Amino acid sequence: MFAAMTSVALVGVRPRQVRVEAHVTKAQEAFHIVGLPDTAVREARQRVLAAFAASQYRLTGRRIVVNLSPADLPKGGTTYDLPIALAVIAASGVESIPSVVALGELALDGKVRPVRGGLGAALVAREVAQICVLPAESAGEAQASGHDIAAAATLTEAINVAKGLDGGAPIIPAVGPSTPATELAEVRGQLTARRALEVAAAGGHHLLMSGPPGSGKTMLAKCLPGILPELEHDARFEVAMAWAAAGRPRPVGAPPPFRAPHHSATMAALIGGGSGVPVPGEVTLAHNGVLFLDELGEFPAHLLDAMRQPLEHGSVTVARKGASVEFPASFQLVAATNPCPCGYSGDRLVSCRCGPRGVDKYRRRLSGPLIDRFDLQVRVSRLDSTELAGPPGESSDRVRARVIAARDRQMRRGHLNRMLSRSDLDGVEWVSKARQLLERAVANQALTARGWDRVRRVAMTIADLDDAEVVSEAHAAEALMYRGSV
Amino acid sequence: MSLDARLRLAFGGMHPDRTRRLLDQFGGAEAVVARLDGGALRVSDRIRAAVQVPAADRRRELDDLRHAVWFRGEPGYPESLAMFPDAPDVLFTRGELPIGGRVAVVGSRRCTAYGRRLAGEYGAAIGISGWVVVSGLARGVDGAAHEGTLRVGAQGIAVLGCGLDVDYPREHGRLASALVDAGGLIVSEYPPGTPPEGWRFPPRNRIISGLSVAVVVVEASVKGGALITAGTAMLQGIPVFVTPGDVTREVSKGCNLLIRDGAHPVLDAADLIAELELVLGPVQPARSNANERDVSPVLDALMEHGSCGVDELSQRVALAVPALLAELARLEADGLVEGDGITYTACTTAQLPGR
Repeated sequence: MFAAMTSVALVGVRPRQVRVEAHVTKAQEAFHIVGLPDTAVREARQRVLAAFAASQYRLTGRRIVVNLSPADLPKGGTTYDLPIALAVIAASGVESIPSVVALGELALDGKVRPVRGGLGAALVAREVAQICVLPAESAGEAQASGHDIAAAATLTEAINVAKGLDGGAPIIPAVGPSTPATELAEVRGQLTARRALEVAAAGGHHLLMSGPPGSGKTMLAKCLPGILPELEHDARFEVAMAWAAAGRPRPVGAPPPFRAPHHSATMAALIGGGSGVPVPGEVTLAHNGVLFLDELGEFPAHLLDAMRQPLEHGSVTVARKGASVEFPASFQLVAATNPCPCGYSGDRLVSCRCGPRGVDKYRRRLSGPLIDRFDLQVRVSRLDSTELAGPPGESSDRVRARVIAARDRQMRRGHLNRMLSRSDLDGVEWVSKARQLLERAVANQALTARGWDRVRRVAMTIADLDDAEVVSEAHAAEALMYRGSV
Repeated sequence: MSLDARLRLAFGGMHPDRTRRLLDQFGGAEAVVARLDGGALRVSDRIRAAVQVPAADRRRELDDLRHAVWFRGEPGYPESLAMFPDAPDVLFTRGELPIGGRVAVVGSRRCTAYGRRLAGEYGAAIGISGWVVVSGLARGVDGAAHEGTLRVGAQGIAVLGCGLDVDYPREHGRLASALVDAGGLIVSEYPPGTPPEGWRFPPRNRIISGLSVAVVVVEASVKGGALITAGTAMLQGIPVFVTPGDVTREVSKGCNLLIRDGAHPVLDAADLIAELELVLGPVQPARSNANERDVSPVLDALMEHGSCGVDELSQRVALAVPALLAELARLEADGLVEGDGITYTACTTAQLPGR
């Protein structure tokens, strides 16, 4: 007569429980789905009935009512086909199925197809201590939850595993986008930029590189994930959740994510959105990892503006009619830019075609609140042939060891240096010579008031890399080198 | 109370030539002010109203602004300036008159990067030598010269073409305060609140040259204020030094013209200082704080090899990158080295006797 299953809806990246109730009576044949279903959910009737037929279940001459609760939660997609089918079969008394957590689309031939939210379903299953039945392809990402997953390839199989019988093995997703980080030893020369990358990694600072085309800015950026410490359990889990919400399975032990959206990306692709239920964007896929914006000056102003919320709060809010969802977006920003439209301003060999006016105009496009977020700003030059043939640099592993040590020091104080506020910085003891050096830089107009905080944050990280208790003059001096142009 | 009358007249803010003509014609400020009060002279209402304010009120106003006044012929007014017939009767000042020989560095507002760099270097070199840079706080060369002075912790004088409390150009407001804070002086013959009007600027050039024992022209077009300063300097019998420039470039033509007419060409900062020593006497070698710095292998390498990239430099001096970057930043802060984040060059000022 009556049965209920549990399923999930993703709100942002967080799973919310959805109860799928079915009431089946012998009456004039009907099939109703109630509880704020969208078109795809309403169409579940046809898919479920076809799958029943394909799986040799006959449910003729019955009135079926399916309720999805809570009703105020927007529910979309084909996610609920499987729990609806299970609930209806249980309610009609054809099979006795206990309440389980299930998710999946049904094909007309009774096969189960993958959907987004496998990890979320597994988390809910762990919470309510029920068996979790997922399509085999969605079961891979769910392993990050640590909960046992029952994978099913067909509706019949799903009913069997829900009853506690053995099911098929989860299909581990093919490792898609996670290419390994570039090895730092492959970068020749560029000593300043290499060091800046190390400092950025150690303090979690945002890094801006400016230099002509072909100077290796992208390559340097791609090295960053390789010198970051491995993600800890919680952080790794957050990444898995973010990626799962985007419907992109991600292998468990992968290095911190590295995302490099192109400047022609749309707002929805970068920040999140899309029609219907919002899907996370690049900033969320880069959560706990690195977001690389190449050609920063080419990004339209509204996209750069939209970056401010994630940079400030570590999350983005995507507002939709009826519901606004929050996605995590705490990433380390690395950006590269040409110094001018032609790219050769300040180059040693090629002369710039833009003129001082053009260079100024280009720089002004980048100025403003976003540029102040970059604690480290360095210039990168093109290498000549002798430098390209030079000896390989230090390996990523060795640099990472120093980064990890420096981060340990910071975590003992509470958080990464990137997060240090002005009042935090004011409370830090400095040797007087270091302070004098920075004051002199301010007096010489080499350093602005905003630059002052940035340099102090970076100096703290340099001291941490040096395993020093206090910031010395040398630490402050080196930090000044990364202040960028005023 | 002749000083009161002179102060009231100065607050009129008339063109300096007119003020001087009136003073000559009626034989003193009291007579001029009396005629203005009596309506015997035709002047604009604004000037008449400004002159009518009692001197005591004006003094309070100046106190509030922390401005001082110099009267020509009275103590405080630099004698070297007072001796010129067209010297201003009254000067408004903020800060203190620095001790040391005064050298003017002037040039075009629309200078090139070359001009900016040289102006900064000369400003620093003069400062390092214990002398005082005089300039006009304008955009371009003037500003760069003042910045160069401040960079080496020396004192400078800025002569303004507007009231001392008016920030012009706006972005140089901070520079003016920095000059005063560093023990320097800003000075103007125009009363507080005077807006920067075009006709007020050419007359102030005679103050710049009049205060100085030598004038250095960095970049100047043929019709620029810098050439006016050079002209007044020549009339005042003050030596003029000029930086040679590209003969095809507009902002070099004025300089090259001066050279043709007999001004002294300057080759670099060290050359300039050597020439100035003939006028101002030898530089005291090594000021006390200069010895604090140990010899720097990085600076030595840069002096030996000219411009050098960071990568190349780290090989030459066998220094780890963090230490090298720190040393470069220190040298840059001391004004000994300049760079753009990629290549670094030793400033010519690093080799001066006063260093």
